[in-house]
Amino acid sequence: MLMSVQQTSQKKAAKAARDASKYWKKWHLTWNVLSLVAVAAAYFENKLVASQEMVDNKTYYWFLAVYFAYLLIVTVIGQFTNGRLHNYNGHFAQLNISLGVVLIIQDLLTEKFAVLEQPFFVSFAQILDQMRENAALLWASTLSSLGLWVVSFIVGTLLGVVLGLGMGRYRQFNYWAFPYLKVIGIIPAAAWMPLTMVIFPTSYMAEVFLIAFSVWFPVAFMTIGGVQGISKEYFESAKTLGFSEWQIVRKIVIPGALPSIFTGVYTAMGLSFTMLVISEMIGAKVGLGWFINWAKGTGNYTQVYAAIVIMAILFSVLFALFTKVQDYFLRWREKRN
Amino acid sequence: MGVLEVDHVNRRLQDNNGQEINVLDDINFTVNPGEFVAIIGPSGCGKTTLLRLISGLDQPEDGQVTIDGDRITKPDYSRGYVFQHGSLFPWETIEENISVGLKVTKGHNYDKELVKHYIDLMGLTGFENSYPHQVSGGMAQRAALARSIIMKPEILLLDEPMGALDAFTRADIQNVIYRVWEQTHTTMILVTHDIDEAVYLSNRIVVMTPRPGRIKEIVENPLPHPRSRVSEEFAAFRHEIQEKLNFGLEDVQEASR
Ligand SMILES: Nc1ncnc2c1ncn2[C@@H]1O[C@H](COP(=O)(O)OP(=O)(O)OP(=O)(O)O)[C@@H](O)[C@H]1O
Ligand SMILES: [Mg+2]
Repeated sequence: MLMSVQQTSQKKAAKAARDASKYWKKWHLTWNVLSLVAVAAAYFENKLVASQEMVDNKTYYWFLAVYFAYLLIVTVIGQFTNGRLHNYNGHFAQLNISLGVVLIIQDLLTEKFAVLEQPFFVSFAQILDQMRENAALLWASTLSSLGLWVVSFIVGTLLGVVLGLGMGRYRQFNYWAFPYLKVIGIIPAAAWMPLTMVIFPTSYMAEVFLIAFSVWFPVAFMTIGGVQGISKEYFESAKTLGFSEWQIVRKIVIPGALPSIFTGVYTAMGLSFTMLVISEMIGAKVGLGWFINWAKGTGNYTQVYAAIVIMAILFSVLFALFTKVQDYFLRWREKRN
Repeated sequence: MGVLEVDHVNRRLQDNNGQEINVLDDINFTVNPGEFVAIIGPSGCGKTTLLRLISGLDQPEDGQVTIDGDRITKPDYSRGYVFQHGSLFPWETIEENISVGLKVTKGHNYDKELVKHYIDLMGLTGFENSYPHQVSGGMAQRAALARSIIMKPEILLLDEPMGALDAFTRADIQNVIYRVWEQTHTTMILVTHDIDEAVYLSNRIVVMTPRPGRIKEIVENPLPHPRSRVSEEFAAFRHEIQEKLNFGLEDVQEASR
């Protein structure tokens, strides 16, 4: 009981130490106040400088207001507490200032002085306004893209892991499968595009195939390496402890290869995002890729930017989720700060 | 039950140049149930090779290893094996590592009390949920011992399990092994470089010489239990073994001349 309390406090201390090295910039109230000033300045710049272009800036003002409120709250909390929020915002205060400055510069370049002109260049305010206007369609497109990606990514990853484990563990299977799969896997998924459109009965299936195809190979390749890199002693210990073959696969091969599998999945994620957008641009009637293509067709480049911003957010969130999942499954590894 | 016979065993392996070398040459000895045998000899004399044959991880080219007359053909949890570096599974916690053998052989209804007992016995209480990289080398080695001992093996094969540890931790684990042996009467075969360790723990000491790996002599340990590491008898017997080993070294020097 006492020990477990001690362990919890040890864990807390370890976490705090990791935070301290991750958020290494020290808290300075000046930086936080300056970040507030920068965001406020972005508002007044937009409000006061005369515009060359017709823009509805209301959504932009909302955005700035929310951003300002967020900064104000964390500045106050950070000033009077000493926890995670303090470290986090102390670290990112300077970055927040730079974001305020970037907002001002892009606004001046586009809306205000039209150095970068419409329709190919638009201000962030216009993108936000477009997102509000087209919210329903963009939301539907996002969900559709997300759904397609999740299904294809899971299919591709499972296929890659199963083939990789098989080839990494079983010599016979490796002998027969590896040469063929190596040649097939090296083909860029995009090259299959014309064929998939006619071979598969629905464009959805064609898209799943293309995305899964871009995923399975890096995953399988890294899985093989992962299995082959497991120290012989683990297999031998397992045998002297009475493991069956299936138990060896489940308790030695899979966890032992997991770090390498995650590296493969990480690589595959980037490829899969590319393939997601490309295949939606060609085949689909839904999704963010389709939305971009459609907007291009109507000449509305603001909508293209809106879709790009959403992709940036969506894919960042997916990468962040990946990192969380990876950290959980590899929690047994030594943390290197 | 549990009489181990190593019956005129040869082991030949290819070296890096494809040359065949006699790693073990006509190894022949018997270990009775409950004995504590130490195998000692210079590096490269085939101690690990011999232990692997007994466990069933490898097979000899000639001769055979039997238990109660049955030939050993593959590893089994009735013959525990503790590696020099323990080789705990890094992806399992200390508790999971210790219970894993029970789990895979008995299913999920394994005896959880037994796991707790061994965690206590090995002084690992409070570290059940730590991962191997989070505990000290001595703790990891105790966990590795527990992982094998909990399977209640007939024979426990120990390949320099204390080789990588400092003197204090080493003495501590020697005592743990001694206690387990005293309580369970498991047959123990301990490979070691450390003469003190062999003298302190074993009933018999197998002295080996290299190139080819042969048994030079098997010496009965006359010291009564409990043993003291600082008694005169201890020092005398230690000296005797030391001399036998030095002969081994002279042989090497002659062979390499
Ligand atoms: N798989 C192998 N292939 C070829 N040679 C081997 C193999 N394993 C061991 N040897 C050789 O056999 C000899 C004995 O090796 P072994 O590991 O059994 O020695 P050891 O007595 O355990 O030495 P140490 O005390 O250093 O652990 C060495 O010369 C080694 O090079
Ligand atoms: Mg050895």
